[in-house]
Amino acid sequence: MAPQQTLLIILLAPLAAASLIALVGRRKGLLSAGISVGSAAVQMLLTLSLLYGSWKGEPITASVEWLHIGALNVNLGFYLTPLAGMLLFVVTFVGFCIHLFAIGYSDDDEARGRFFGGLSIFMFSMTGIVLSSSLFMIFIFWELVGFSSYMLIGHYLARPSAAAAAKKAFIVNRVGDFGFLIGIIWCFWHYGTTDLATLESIMHANPVLLTTGTATAIALCLFCGVLGKSAQMPLHVWLPDAMEGPTPVSALIHAATMVAAGVYLLGRIWFVYSPSALQVVAVVGTVTAAYAAFCAFGVKDIKKILAYSTLSQLGYLVAAFALGTLYAMQHGDHGLTGVGTAHFHLTTHAFFKALMFLGAGSVIHACHHEQDIFKMGGLLKRMPITAVTFLVGVIAISGIPPFSGFYSKDAILFLAQEENKVIFYILAGTAFLTALYMGRLFFIAFLGSPRSEHVEHAKESSFVMWLPLVVLAILSVVGGFEGIYPEAIKSFLSENVLHPHGAAHQQMLILSLCLGLGGLLLSMLLYFKPASRGNDFLESNLPIVFNILKGRLYFDEFYNFYVAKIQQRFACVVSFLEQVFIQRLMVKGSGSLTGVVGTVIRGVHTGNVRSYAFWFLFGLVLFWVFAIIGF
Amino acid sequence: MNEPATTDGYLLLGAIAVPLVCSILLSATGRKAKGLVRPLALAGFLIPTVIAFMLWNTFSAEASGSGYLFMTQADLGLSSLGINLKLGLNGISMPLFLLASIVGLAAGVYAMRGDDENKHWYLVLLLIMQTGLLGVFASIDIFFFYFFHEFALIPTFIMIGLWGGRERRYAAMEMTIYLTLGAMLSLLGLIAVYTKSGLNSFDMISLKAHLAAMPLGDVVQQNIFALLLIGFGILVSLFPFHSWAPRGYAAAPASAAMLHAGVLKKFGLYGLVQIALPLLPAGAAHFSNMLLWLAAGNVVLIGLVTMTQTDLKRMLGYSSVMHMGYAFMGIAGFSIIGVSGAVLLMFAHGVSVALLFLLADCICRRTQTCEMPEMGGLFKKTPILCGFFVAASLASIGLPGFANFWGEFTIFVGLWQFSPAFAVVAITGIVISAIYGLRAVARIFYGPASAVVQDNTIEDLAICERTPAVILFVALIAVGVFPKLISDDINMAISDVYKAPVTTVAEPVVPATTQDISNHES
Repeated sequence: MAPQQTLLIILLAPLAAASLIALVGRRKGLLSAGISVGSAAVQMLLTLSLLYGSWKGEPITASVEWLHIGALNVNLGFYLTPLAGMLLFVVTFVGFCIHLFAIGYSDDDEARGRFFGGLSIFMFSMTGIVLSSSLFMIFIFWELVGFSSYMLIGHYLARPSAAAAAKKAFIVNRVGDFGFLIGIIWCFWHYGTTDLATLESIMHANPVLLTTGTATAIALCLFCGVLGKSAQMPLHVWLPDAMEGPTPVSALIHAATMVAAGVYLLGRIWFVYSPSALQVVAVVGTVTAAYAAFCAFGVKDIKKILAYSTLSQLGYLVAAFALGTLYAMQHGDHGLTGVGTAHFHLTTHAFFKALMFLGAGSVIHACHHEQDIFKMGGLLKRMPITAVTFLVGVIAISGIPPFSGFYSKDAILFLAQEENKVIFYILAGTAFLTALYMGRLFFIAFLGSPRSEHVEHAKESSFVMWLPLVVLAILSVVGGFEGIYPEAIKSFLSENVLHPHGAAHQQMLILSLCLGLGGLLLSMLLYFKPASRGNDFLESNLPIVFNILKGRLYFDEFYNFYVAKIQQRFACVVSFLEQVFIQRLMVKGSGSLTGVVGTVIRGVHTGNVRSYAFWFLFGLVLFWVFAIIGF
Repeated sequence: MNEPATTDGYLLLGAIAVPLVCSILLSATGRKAKGLVRPLALAGFLIPTVIAFMLWNTFSAEASGSGYLFMTQADLGLSSLGINLKLGLNGISMPLFLLASIVGLAAGVYAMRGDDENKHWYLVLLLIMQTGLLGVFASIDIFFFYFFHEFALIPTFIMIGLWGGRERRYAAMEMTIYLTLGAMLSLLGLIAVYTKSGLNSFDMISLKAHLAAMPLGDVVQQNIFALLLIGFGILVSLFPFHSWAPRGYAAAPASAAMLHAGVLKKFGLYGLVQIALPLLPAGAAHFSNMLLWLAAGNVVLIGLVTMTQTDLKRMLGYSSVMHMGYAFMGIAGFSIIGVSGAVLLMFAHGVSVALLFLLADCICRRTQTCEMPEMGGLFKKTPILCGFFVAASLASIGLPGFANFWGEFTIFVGLWQFSPAFAVVAITGIVISAIYGLRAVARIFYGPASAVVQDNTIEDLAICERTPAVILFVALIAVGVFPKLISDDINMAISDVYKAPVTTVAEPVVPATTQDISNHES
């Protein structure tokens, strides 16, 4: 089988599964689960066979003309590079694990068919983004991913909060896509193409292109798409709310894959970023990383803590991309340093964040949908596999060697240190906070004694649920070693991820250990005291700080205020004016005005309908005269 | 002139004649033979659809560029005035002819449900409307182009007046006056083209050839174009001449709203694309800036107004007004890409808005109200209806995979070339439409079941509701996934028609706009 055919099957298998479910599986939950998981398995096996087979990283392309109008050509095609291969691996592998987990998780779900259908549509759209050969095609799948996210966040339709969260996610993403679409169209007219390979060769052939303000503006417009999908400030507000969806969805879409799509987009178009655009990107990423880490202390819902953690790590990725690309520009040798570093962390993060989300899902499922960590406790004894694998995730995200998070975070901190000291201190501080809030989550939820009845009776989840946990836990441990990856990805990583050497290496190692272990130890001191386990340390001892963190800088309040008080009122004013001026004055008013005029000109006063027509025509003539004179 | 008609030409004539014949038969037999009503009406809607698909199949295979195919001609005794019944399809009219047949079939099937005493009269009127709709897009003769439009318009008024909902009298009157005026103005414009060309012919093809060789003077072109723009603009609810649309559609019976909003409304846009722009390029260039401003009013202002609507059918009426703004913006850009996008959107919007009006009617009949805040939680009782409505809403807000996406996307790309600023304004529409579209979905279907949902016995879509919904849904998806089904024909026709004017008029476009700007400044 030619690689193009393999890719086509990888792309279309989940679409076929979703169509099949829509046709036959609406009421047959288990059947649709089987179809969906089967398609995910096909995707994973074909991806593995491709990556571990003959492919050595040379670009694989294919392209079909899909729309041709005048100068506009929209081609759909594949562009498989080592980067795309790496993401394909993450998406299909983690995706399969989560599908497997979802079988167990959804066993009490009435709308199982819809759930698995949604998962399959998501896999199709996400694979589409990964393989896309042009920005046009990326945009198509970008929107489809947004749609599947909308469907899955709102899975529990009867819950008003879920419906609202789904709507919010779609609309906030659309705001990002507004800029993204402008960027794409601008790019098309400015550079003459949106084909990724062609665009790259154009940019490399004419480095001078990047020096213009237009180039920076285009890059920042495209970055708007990243703001939406990867939930960067100030469009981050949808991600915590998206936790209304079923937990496997949160793990797959809102932790491991879809939210990484923004970072992947940056990786696909890194060559259009000018230094000034990269500065902006770096700042946005850093601010998001720090902000979200603080927010994590203000929430008690296990999934929301993980959501803020995801936001924070996404900020890391975005910042890593910008810092690394800037570094490469200054050193002129490693073009893809930023891309490689960001995607290395993206991969390890996908493993341990998916692991922790699934762990949370396992806990929530066992505790009858209890999500407040302060009502949990003592889960280590009741759910040992879940607890131990979760702990692996905590250690990995805290960046403690030799777990995977250490290697990828270490590379990012090294870049920050080389590139920008302020950003370095902020990101290092964030790493400390990460360990601290993860420790808080783990100690409160899993240790001590149960604090509610459902938790008391919690039991370890079934085999299909803990098997993915174990697999992901293993990867969270070893994911930092380049040796485990297929040939193409391995060489991509070793070429493009900068690891410190010698003294710098020792320095980073010590720093990471201090930050990670320090955070975990501090959280143990603060949160592992039996006396205070039922309530939050910050809340009881420093309520002011807790409330500030809980307020999350009032972004949501501001946006709600804007939507309800400014946007809606403005719309109402426009609507009122439309009623008054266009409907009343121009249409209805013309009828009554005639009464007045009619007393002057008796002849016109013959009846409502005719005068109404007359005045209308009069208005039109006026308008026409006005139009001809010049608008 | 009188080339012999081919078999396909007779088929085209047949497609237009069949609904008329069926309507005559139905009005003759309707009351006596109840059993014949449905089969006759179904034949009247189904046969043209089958023919349209056959013709489309031939058309795509022949790929004749801008030329017309399936030409057929009949002298009706008016040839001394230059009027002949001349039919044919080109790449612009083919997709719209297909649209008319598809939406007509869906509206027809939907109209057949129930056992109303006067059902057959309703179907008679609908069949007459269908004749007119098919005729509009198949006419090469401008006189018949107009004639068929009136032929379809009059049954609309009657249907609203007799079978309409709330405010039906007022809505029917307002709509009649507005649309008749619009039609009259465009008729004036068309007659002006006829007289000024001095060709003594209403034949679109010869007019095009003649005016390409000897264009009218700029001032004449501008004046005629202004007439046509306002006339057609009213018919397509160009801002600020839109107020008939939301009220009219809210009052209209579902099938009439489907056919009018879906197909008949496209008459004005079709007239601009097929007649006004190619014949009067200088006039079009002069007004393109004004048209952009007005269309921006459609997208942004009416978009905001749509957000405040609580009545489902009125909201759909306003949203359809808003989407017409995109089409006008595509046309105003005066480029191959923009105009082709407008034609794509005309097809897509026609199908999606018909589907939305169909589903809205299904919803309102079930909840016995059209007020969205009173609804809620309907998904549990009607999952299939919910699925269709979500799909139709997402289609209308331009989700890829549905035909509307290609239309909007192409228009944005084309418009950027002409004016990036207006393109940005147009793109704000994707956010606005997402807000009201998803808000409506959430209000109607999600959340806990409201009182109206709990109290009424509510069943999911019945077969006579599901069939038309499936027809329209499949059309949206098919073109959404494979835009080339219609886009190649459109591209070929538009590239050919717009190539010549664009090069000759490209220069005036820029001075005209700068002149406008300097006027504003002074």
